[in-house]
Amino acid sequence: MHPDLPRRDFLYRSLTGVGGLALMDLLVRDLSAARTDGGSDPLASRPGHHEAPAKSCIFLSMLGGPSQMDTFDPKPALTRFDGTPMDWSGEDLTDQPSLFAAARKIVGSPFEFRRHGESGIWISDLLPDLWPHADELAVVRSVQADNGNHPAAVFQMNTGFTLPGNPSVGSWVTFGLGTENRNLPAFCALPDFRSLPFSGSQQWGSGFLPATFQGTVLRWNGEAVRDLKAPDAVDPGMAAASRDLLRSYNRAFLDRHFTNPDLQARIDAYELAFRMQAEVPGVLSMDGESEATRRMYGLDDARARSFGTRCLIARKLVEHGVRFVQLYTPSQSWDGHVDIVWNHGKNSAETSRPVGALLADLKRRGLLESTLVVWMGEFGRTPDTVADRKTKGRDHNIGAMSMWFAGAGIKAGTVVGETNDLGYKAVQDVYHVRDVHATILHLMGLNDMRLTYRHAGRNRRLTDTGGRVIREILA
Amino acid sequence: MPFRYHLTDLANTVHFRLISLAFATLTAALAATGNEAIFEERLRPVLARNCSSCHGGSEPSGDMAVDRLADLLAGGKHGPAIDPGSSSTSLLVQYVRGERAPRMPLGGKISPADLAELVGAVDSMQPARPGAGGASAESQWPYTAPERTAPPRVQAGMWVRNPIDSYVLARLEAEELEPAMPAGRRTLARRVHFDLTGLPPAPEDIDAFESDRRPGAYERFIERVLSRPEYGERWGRHWLDLARFAESDGFAIDRERPTAWRYRDYVIRAFNRDKPYDLFIKEQLAGDELPASDGGEDSDRLVSLGFLRMGPWEADSLSMQKLRQDFLNELTGVTGSAFLGLTVGCAQCHDHKYDPIPQRDFYRLQAFFSATRAERRPAPYADAENRREMKRVLRRYEDSLDEAEDSLDAVQARLIDRFVEISGVADEDDERLETFRKELNVKNEFFRKRTGPIFEEPLWREWLAAKDTRDRLAELHARHAPVATAVSDVVPPDVPSVAPTFVMAGGEFDAPGESVKPGFPAPLAGTAQPAEIPFRSGSSGRRIALAEWIASPDNPLTARVMVNRIWQHHFGAGLVRTASDFGRNGDRPSHPELLDWLALRFVESGWSVKQMHRLMLGSATYRQSTHHDRHTEYAVLDPDNRLLWRMNWLRLDAESIRDSVLSLSGRLSPVRGGPSALLDVPADVAQGFEFFKWFASSPAEQRKRTVYTFQRRSVVQPFMETFDAANMSASCSRRNTTTVAPQALTLLNGDLVNDEAVHFARRVIGEAGEDRAAQVGRAFRLALGRMPSADERDQAVRAFADAPAEQALARLGVVLFNLNEFLYLQ
Repeated sequence: MHPDLPRRDFLYRSLTGVGGLALMDLLVRDLSAARTDGGSDPLASRPGHHEAPAKSCIFLSMLGGPSQMDTFDPKPALTRFDGTPMDWSGEDLTDQPSLFAAARKIVGSPFEFRRHGESGIWISDLLPDLWPHADELAVVRSVQADNGNHPAAVFQMNTGFTLPGNPSVGSWVTFGLGTENRNLPAFCALPDFRSLPFSGSQQWGSGFLPATFQGTVLRWNGEAVRDLKAPDAVDPGMAAASRDLLRSYNRAFLDRHFTNPDLQARIDAYELAFRMQAEVPGVLSMDGESEATRRMYGLDDARARSFGTRCLIARKLVEHGVRFVQLYTPSQSWDGHVDIVWNHGKNSAETSRPVGALLADLKRRGLLESTLVVWMGEFGRTPDTVADRKTKGRDHNIGAMSMWFAGAGIKAGTVVGETNDLGYKAVQDVYHVRDVHATILHLMGLNDMRLTYRHAGRNRRLTDTGGRVIREILA
Repeated sequence: MPFRYHLTDLANTVHFRLISLAFATLTAALAATGNEAIFEERLRPVLARNCSSCHGGSEPSGDMAVDRLADLLAGGKHGPAIDPGSSSTSLLVQYVRGERAPRMPLGGKISPADLAELVGAVDSMQPARPGAGGASAESQWPYTAPERTAPPRVQAGMWVRNPIDSYVLARLEAEELEPAMPAGRRTLARRVHFDLTGLPPAPEDIDAFESDRRPGAYERFIERVLSRPEYGERWGRHWLDLARFAESDGFAIDRERPTAWRYRDYVIRAFNRDKPYDLFIKEQLAGDELPASDGGEDSDRLVSLGFLRMGPWEADSLSMQKLRQDFLNELTGVTGSAFLGLTVGCAQCHDHKYDPIPQRDFYRLQAFFSATRAERRPAPYADAENRREMKRVLRRYEDSLDEAEDSLDAVQARLIDRFVEISGVADEDDERLETFRKELNVKNEFFRKRTGPIFEEPLWREWLAAKDTRDRLAELHARHAPVATAVSDVVPPDVPSVAPTFVMAGGEFDAPGESVKPGFPAPLAGTAQPAEIPFRSGSSGRRIALAEWIASPDNPLTARVMVNRIWQHHFGAGLVRTASDFGRNGDRPSHPELLDWLALRFVESGWSVKQMHRLMLGSATYRQSTHHDRHTEYAVLDPDNRLLWRMNWLRLDAESIRDSVLSLSGRLSPVRGGPSALLDVPADVAQGFEFFKWFASSPAEQRKRTVYTFQRRSVVQPFMETFDAANMSASCSRRNTTTVAPQALTLLNGDLVNDEAVHFARRVIGEAGEDRAAQVGRAFRLALGRMPSADERDQAVRAFADAPAEQALARLGVVLFNLNEFLYLQ
C-alpha cells in the first residue's frame, strides 16, 4: 500500500464524483447548524443559490410537439387564408428545406379560441379543462428550439443539448438541491409504457453527473415499483442480517476501489431501495383518494386513465417532498402531420382532464405555492401542410412553440411573447429552450451560470453558455 | 449559501496546479481538445452575441458558419476564419477590427470587451500541427480509406505485447502518462470469461489457469473460452441488438413472427464458427442472391435474410402505401447504421444537417430495396438446426393440433347449444348469438366482457381450457414450421417494372418527388452515378450489389465500424464512442491510427472476428488493472479514460446477470437454440395485450439462456427492462447502464434471485459438505471466483449462524448476487 493513499483518496474524492458532493455537503454542514443529518449523502436537501418559492417541479412533457396555433396562440390570419398557398421562400429558419420545397397551403385552426379568466388568456376548446385555470398560467408563446427532428429535439427539451450524454433537467435540479424526502427517489420519471421517448432512460439519465442523480421510473399500472416487498418466505431477521452483510461487504469493496464512483452510487441506490420499501406503499396507495378525486383525474375514462393516474401520482410525490417529477405522453403523440383534428383531439382526450385536475388538486391542497408546473413539447408546428393533403395537418417547426408555467413563483395570468401573423416564428420577446431551463432553475432557487459540474476539462452547465430567465413571468 | 459552489473554483485551482506539476508539457495531440474547450468557453459566447444571427444555423451568410470550431477552421470563401494562436493573422479578427471590408458585424459594432476576449481566445489556442492535414482532412474522415501506419516507436517497449499496445502507449507517453499495472490472473480469468461468454468461470477453470506456469497460459485460456458455444450466445446477442431482433411485429397488434428465432440461431452459429464478417454481411443483405454454397447451408442463406425483416411492422396501418414506405425507410436506416455507422436515417426527411449525405442519397440507397418484399420462404431445417428432431417435433405437433381442433370443435358445439338453451335464442339470426360468437373470438380473457350466465357454467371453463390447448399447440406448431422469415425480390425480366423510388418530401410516403436509381452514398463511393446491378437469376440482383459494395475491403467504413464495435464490447467504450455514428455528429476516434490499423488487420485476417478477439484480449492494454496508482491525478486530465491508462470497469448486462445466477445455482438449461422460451410475466404485463395470449413455457424451458427467451415487442420482461436490455424498437449500438433503486429491489426481492439462491445453497452444500466455513468458502469461489478473507468468512458465518444450512446459504447467495463485486467486472 502507498503511504499517501489516504491523501489521494481525499483529493480524488474532493475532485470528482460523489465524493466531491460529499465534501461540498460537509462544507455546508459545518456552516449550517441547522443540518442534523445527511452527512456525506449526495441527495441530502440543501439550500440553493437564492431563496425561491418552488420546492418541487412537475414537468409535463408533451412529446411530438403540440401545435401553438391550435392551443394558446390564436391566429385569425390562418382562418382568413385557409387553403391558400403558403410561401416559405423568404424564410431561412427551418432546418427541413426539402419539406418546404414542395407546394404547401395554409391551414386555419379547426379549433375555437376564447378568452378565459380575468386575465383573458386565449385557450382553444382543445384544452377545456385548462379554462378554469387560465388565471394560474403564465403562457410563453415565443420559445424556439434548435432541431426539428424528434430525437434531437426531445434531448434538447430534457438536457439542453441535441446529442445524448448530457444530464436532464431533473438531474441538474436534484444535483443542486438534493431532495426533501430521502425515502423516495429524488427525481421520478413517469413515462407512458405504450411508447417510451426516444433513447428511453437516457432522457432522464444523469449524463456525466454521478449516477445517483438519475431519474427513477415509477409505473402507474400494477405495482408502481416491482419487487418492493421481500418474499413472504424470508424471515425478517434473516432479511435484516442479509442487508447488514451486504452493506458490510460493499463498504469494504468500495474502500478498496474508491476510484469507481459507480460503486458508491449503487450503494446509495440500495439504501434508497431499503427506505422505499417502507415509504412507497403508503405514498402511492390510491386508497386514500376519494371517488370524486379519481373521477376528477379522469380515472373513469379509458383514454385519460394513463395520464390521469400519473398526474395523481405526481401530486402524491410532490406532497411527500419529491424534488422533480416528469411525465411523458407517448413518443410522438402530438405529432399531427396528417390530421390535427384527430391527432390533437386524441391527445386532448388523454391529457386535458388530468392536467386540469392536477392544477386544481395542487391548489386546493396548498401545494401550488411550492410546486412549479411546466407544460411543453419539443417544438411547435407549422401553419401549413402539403398542398395536396385533404386533411388538416401540421409539420415540425422550431421557430415558435407555446408552453406554460404554473404555480410557485409564477406571475399568474401572464402571456409573454408574440409570433408573426401566421404564427410560425417568434418575433417579440423571443426565448429559447435553454431560457426555459434557466427559468426553471431560477424558480427553484438555482442560478444556471453557477450550477456547474466539471467534466472533461470544463465547467458544464444545463444552459451551456447561459440562458436568460424569462423575467416577465416571475411573480 | 454560496460556499458549496465555490468548490468548482477549488477544483479549478487544484486542477491547474496538478497540471502544471505533473503535466507540464501538454502536447499537440491534446491541443485539439484544448482548442475545443477554448472555443466552447470563450469564443462561442462572443460569436453567439455578435455573429450567429447571420453566420449560424442551416444557411449561414456567405456559407461562413461560426457554430463550431470546425466551421471557423473550414472558414468561408477567403479561407480559414481563424489562425489558432495568432489573432493578427486571423481573418475573423481582421474583419471585426475593420482591417478588411466590410467591417463585421455588418451594421453593428463589437464591444471592446468582446473584441478583447476574441483576440485573447484566439491567441491562447494551440497552433495547428504542421502536416496534420488541417480542417479538410478532418472533415473527410471517415470517408477516406484507412491509412496504413507502422506501429509507433515507444520508450517502454517492454510493456508492448502486440501492435495495439504500441499505439496506445505512444499516446500515453506523449502525455507523460504510464499504463496501469497488469491485472492478476484471477481478475483476468473472470474478465475474459464474462467478456466472451457472459457467464462466470468455474472455480476449477480459474485454478487451472492460475497454476499453468508454462508460457502462453493466458492465450490458451482465451482459446479454450473462445471455443465454447456460450461465446456465440454472448457475441451473437451483441449483433442481435444491432439487428433490432424481435419475434413480433410491434405496434398494437404485435403479431408473432413464429420462426424469427432461426435468424437468432443463425447469428449465434455465425459467431461460433467465426464466419468471415464480409460473408456474414452478404448473407444478411442478399443471402438469396449469393451463388449456392457447397456445404448445404442454403437454408442459412434464407434464414440470414431475417436481418431485413426484423423491423417493426404496423399491421393495422391505415395505408398499405405508408406501410411499404415505413418498411423501406427503416431498412435503409438500419443498413446505414449497423454496417456503415452512418445515421442516414436523418436524410429520410431532409438533407443530412451534419453529414454530407443529401436526402437524394438516402433514397438512392433505398432503391436497392425497391424490389424487395417481405416473404415467409420455405427453408428446410439444416443439420445445424437439429433437422431430424425438428421434423419429429413438428409431426408430433401436427397430430396433437388436429386432435385439439377436434376437441375444441366438440366443446364449442356443446357450448353454443347450451347458450341457446339458457338464453332462449330462437334462431340462427338472433343478434345475441352473433354477439356471443364474437365474444368467443376475443384473444385475451382480460378483454372479454363476460356478461351472462353462460360464463358461470363449468362448460365455459371447459371451453376455455380446450381453446388454450388448441391455441398453444397452434403457436408451437407454427414455431417449428420449416419456414424462414425472409424477403424476396421481383424476378427478372420484371425488374425494369420494379416500382421506382422517389425522393419523398419530408419523408412522407405521399409526397413523391424526383425519381432515383440505386446508388451508393456519394461521399463514400466518390461518385453519384447509379450502381451497376449484376444479373442474378431468380432475383433483382440489387441487394447483392449493395452487399458486395458494403462488404468490400475498399469500403472505408465497414471494417472500421466493426472493429470499433468489437473494441467497444471488450473495453466498455469504442475508440469512436458513438459506435453507430461515425458522422460529424458522432465522436472522433481517440486513436485514429490504431482504428485504421485494426481495420486493415481485420480485412487481412479474412474478416475474422475471433482473430480480433485474440488480438485485443492479448494486448497489454486489455490486461491492465482497473486500478491505477496515480488515478487521482490522471482522472483529472482524462476523466473518461480515453487514453486507456487503465482498464474500464464494466457492469454486467441484463443477460449476464440472469444467466450467471442460473448458472451458479446449477440450473441453467443446457438446451441451445430452437424456438424461444416464454418467461412468466407479471399479471399487469399479461393484461396488456388485446390480440394474443401469453402462454409461458415450462419452468425448465424458462431456464434457458436469456438469448433464447422470447422477444415480443409489446411484452417487456421487467427484469430485462430494469437492467437496461435493448428495447427492440430500433437498432441499439450500446446499452445504457443505469444505477437505480429498482435494480436493488429486483435483485433482493425478485423471484429469480430468491428462487435460484435456494438451489445455489443446495449446490454449495453438495460440493462443500457440512462445515459452514467450507460452505461459505465454496459460495465465494463460485460467485466471485475467489476465497473469502477470514473476516468475510466469519461475518458470513455469524450473520446466519442460527439458521439451517440451506436457509443460511440461500441468504448468503442473495447477498453475493447483489454485491458490487459480483455486478461490476474489474
